[in-house]
Amino acid sequence: MLILILLLLPLITAIAIAVIPGISGQLSKNIGGGISLVNFLIFIYGLIQFQKGDTVLLDYSHVWLSNANINFSLSADGISQVLLGLVTFITMVVIHIAGSFDYKQSSLLYILILLTESALIGVFTATDIFLFYFFFEISLIPVYFLALKWGGENAPKITFRMFVYTIFGSLLMLSAIIFLYTKGQTASIQELAITGKALPKNVNILLFLAFIVAFGIKMPMFPFHTWQPDAYTESPTPATILLAALLSKMGVYGLLRIALPLAPIGWNQLGIYIVILAIFGLIYGSIIAIKQNNLKKILAYSSFAHMGLMAAGILTGNLSGTQGAVIQMLAHGINVAGLFYIVKIIQDRTGSRNLEGLGGLSQKAPVLTVLFMIVLLGSVALPLTNGFVGEFLLLKSVFDYNNTLGVIAGLTIIFGAVYMLRMMQKAMFGQLLPANENILDVNKSELMVLVPICLLVILFGMFPNLILNSTVEAAKAFTQLMSNI
Amino acid sequence: MLSQFGFILLFIVGAFLMLAGILGMARLLRPDKPNDQKLLSYESGENAEGGSLVSFNIRFYVIALIFVLFEVELVFLFPWSVVFGDKQLIEQTNGLWGWFSMAEMFVFIFILSLGLVYAWAQGHLDWLRPDQKVNPFKSEIPSDLYENINKKYS
Amino acid sequence: MYPILFLSFSGLITLFLGFFQEGKWVKPATILFLAIASISAFIDWNKPGAYFFNMLQVNNFNLLLSLVILITAILIVAISDNFKEIEYAHSAEYYAIMQFSLVGAIMMTNFQSLIMLFLGVEILSVSMYVLTGTDKRNLRGNEAAIKYFLLGAFATGILLFGIAMIYGGVGAFEIDAISGTLASNQAQSLFLYIGLVMLLIGLLFKLAAAPFHFWTPDVYEGAPTIFTLFMATIVKTAVVFALYRILHQSFQNMHLSWSYILAGCIALSLIIGNLSAVKQISFKRMLAFSSISHAGFLLLGLLHVSKTADKSLLFYSVSYLLASTSAFGVLLALKNERTENGRSNENISVFKGLATRSPFLSAVLIISMLSLAGIPLTGGFWSKFYVLTDAANDQFFYLIVLALLLTAVGVYYYFKPIITVFEKSDIQEAITINPIFKIIFVLTTLGTLVLGLFPDLLYGMI
Repeated sequence: MLILILLLLPLITAIAIAVIPGISGQLSKNIGGGISLVNFLIFIYGLIQFQKGDTVLLDYSHVWLSNANINFSLSADGISQVLLGLVTFITMVVIHIAGSFDYKQSSLLYILILLTESALIGVFTATDIFLFYFFFEISLIPVYFLALKWGGENAPKITFRMFVYTIFGSLLMLSAIIFLYTKGQTASIQELAITGKALPKNVNILLFLAFIVAFGIKMPMFPFHTWQPDAYTESPTPATILLAALLSKMGVYGLLRIALPLAPIGWNQLGIYIVILAIFGLIYGSIIAIKQNNLKKILAYSSFAHMGLMAAGILTGNLSGTQGAVIQMLAHGINVAGLFYIVKIIQDRTGSRNLEGLGGLSQKAPVLTVLFMIVLLGSVALPLTNGFVGEFLLLKSVFDYNNTLGVIAGLTIIFGAVYMLRMMQKAMFGQLLPANENILDVNKSELMVLVPICLLVILFGMFPNLILNSTVEAAKAFTQLMSNI
Repeated sequence: MLSQFGFILLFIVGAFLMLAGILGMARLLRPDKPNDQKLLSYESGENAEGGSLVSFNIRFYVIALIFVLFEVELVFLFPWSVVFGDKQLIEQTNGLWGWFSMAEMFVFIFILSLGLVYAWAQGHLDWLRPDQKVNPFKSEIPSDLYENINKKYS
Repeated sequence: MYPILFLSFSGLITLFLGFFQEGKWVKPATILFLAIASISAFIDWNKPGAYFFNMLQVNNFNLLLSLVILITAILIVAISDNFKEIEYAHSAEYYAIMQFSLVGAIMMTNFQSLIMLFLGVEILSVSMYVLTGTDKRNLRGNEAAIKYFLLGAFATGILLFGIAMIYGGVGAFEIDAISGTLASNQAQSLFLYIGLVMLLIGLLFKLAAAPFHFWTPDVYEGAPTIFTLFMATIVKTAVVFALYRILHQSFQNMHLSWSYILAGCIALSLIIGNLSAVKQISFKRMLAFSSISHAGFLLLGLLHVSKTADKSLLFYSVSYLLASTSAFGVLLALKNERTENGRSNENISVFKGLATRSPFLSAVLIISMLSLAGIPLTGGFWSKFYVLTDAANDQFFYLIVLALLLTAVGVYYYFKPIITVFEKSDIQEAITINPIFKIIFVLTTLGTLVLGLFPDLLYGMI
């Protein structure tokens, strides 16, 4: 029941803001922020109850399409809980960030953000495949409109490309789902896993490919990534954070919950090639990131690289890969939100997001530099930051899977350090440009976002067991499913 | 064994053969001396003037349509009149049949005449002549001059 | 049956109402008549039977179809505006013809004898030929009417020929009798096959399915928008259910023969409809091509003889009706916004800046486009879902993959208007919307969303 409240609260709030006339932008920001905070607290309450052993709170099921045997069933196990936490937390952050810049007609902005939150909660908890697909596809719509309305000059073209790409992928997935559904006559993901296992090899391979394309586009994974750097760059910062921190996780989550369990023989046959692709994308993205000068592009390529490693970890199908991917999803979500926000702050202060127009900002904004450094080190995967645990587990899993691939994937740590530290050095240190003489340090409102993020970076870095213990059961269930094919 | 369609085919073939036979026989028997007058489309002595693709007044078509409507109505009246007087049916229904079929036909004709009334009310039956154009030219000679001359010499 | 009788007479009354007070009562009277006709359908509720010497069949599903058609007609009449923009308009005639055409549409969905089907097709088609050409001074309208008439008359001829052939093969016009004969005999006469193919051609033409779609773009573009809407919704629904009754209720035993013809038409309709729509500038032309692709989807629902085909098709039709009414309605609401040479601009660019000028209209347009594209949250998604799951079997699974891939192409062109809505425009003033339009838009948009969220409300009810 609790999970239904989590899902419906943002939705109802969004509808209320849209329908009730005369709600100003400022008021809707306060309402949206308040509701997202309430949602976060509800989630924390649910989590505590869950730890006490009361699982009923995070389960809900109701008949949706009686004739077609499709149910509106939600359930959150350990992995879903981690992602729910990420969603509720990042939504709060995004609403706060959106409020600190003035966007025109802003009540629509908060409506769209709240709708996204609702859809994402649905994606990460759905246990019915059509419900999953339903939320998977609609989660993109509010973000698309966010990016279209408040994006840069080329936004219509670029966001449209993103939309068509992802829709193409999800329609391929839909045909695979319909095939499985007509074979199995059930829509529950758990029961479909049995159906998937019984299907012949060549069908299984096709299903697996369809799923890989769908989720590969969403993450994005090499070679389906071409929409991503431009879309991240052209979108307004709230939309970019939603895309990079939350929507991309849907792809990894889909691999974990749909692609591998429902087409296990296909995975068995093709998994190695997809891992190779993912690792190739990881190296490729890292190398491109080193050459970039646009801050947002560097972050876009870096997150492309990180997603590749997560995909590879899931595709190995072993315990450390699964747990590493889950913890890395959380870490990457938090870090990338912080990084994009800092880039937005720098851009607003200096009017530039190119490395040439920056430099020496640490002299004028020391606090910002320190915060930037913490989040950035988390992203580089320094020990004692949240990125380290995930990356370590992921690399270990790839290494266990195939030694050579593990060695190649290990390069990402070096490359990551290179492009991230290069960005840090060029932007914050060195010669201060005369145009940037008068920039200000972070203000209170910005600290309200950045300090919690930095604390989380360190918290999860020091106590990774918080996450590892709560996800171990769900991850074990997954690996068990994948081990006996 | 021929099916029903086979008979129809035979019928069509027969019709063509018959037509060809009659026309062919006429061709063989008749004298053939054409001249200009004989080759005119109307042999009434009127010479045709101009092309056949001139535009007619649109009202011709409206009137023709209404005419066709009532022509077609007759086609329905013939079979009806046969059934109307069917003795067996009248006996079976105790004479009610006649009234029933009479009423039905009146409904039919009523609806048709409604169409006529509509066309009438819309003014499609009025034959409007084109407005006569009055020449705006003003003559310097007073108009009663001619009348006076007429009077004088009458 | 009662709606048929009632509408035949109310149409005549409407004609003469045009003489009183410059015809200002015509539109309200038409809505009233249609409402009474809808209510009169309930006289036969739960009383299945046959009328007119077993030529018309009445059961609850058929009555539901009549109701759907009549209610759509009420929506369409409500957003029409007495045809002020047409020179020398005889609005009473148009409303009367619309009522007559509904008689034809209801006959097509309730027929039992093929003769009744032919009568229905003719009544509906002749009305549509006239309505297409109502704007006499519009050259495109004239071209559309002539094209529609010539091609349509030809198709009706083929249809009639097909009916005659079927009679030759089976010796009956009633669909029950045909299906009975087919079930008992194994070897069928050649005439039956020819007849069925001709019947299919005639009806597929009316449905605008490829390769019989050539008239569609010109006619949709040339006809006044309100009649384009009429064609896209009511005519399509009527024809689909006529096809359903023929293929699923009388020729279901010849499934093997017709399913391949249908599969070819589906593939062609989807490919031609979706790919041609991509490059269109005119909104109406784009919707015309999209209607071809929707014809493909509707046929996909007919492909497989299953117990749920009728439900799926009705669901599809209803969600398509709602979305089309919104889409064309927005175009009608913007009729006077930008004009060229005294005619309203019907290009996609007319929506420019709508987001700031009228958020309400842009929301209506966006939701209708999303529904036509088949994005979740709207009725369009579930309608595609039902049709596809009905059609899903091993034999034709490639058609489903094709349909879904072309849906991605569909997203491409359905999003063009949406992007245009957010473009900046030189005109900033707000648009005032007629309150009747507002009510209709709220109804259709809410309907689309409710179907998207709770499809069981409609699907479970049928």
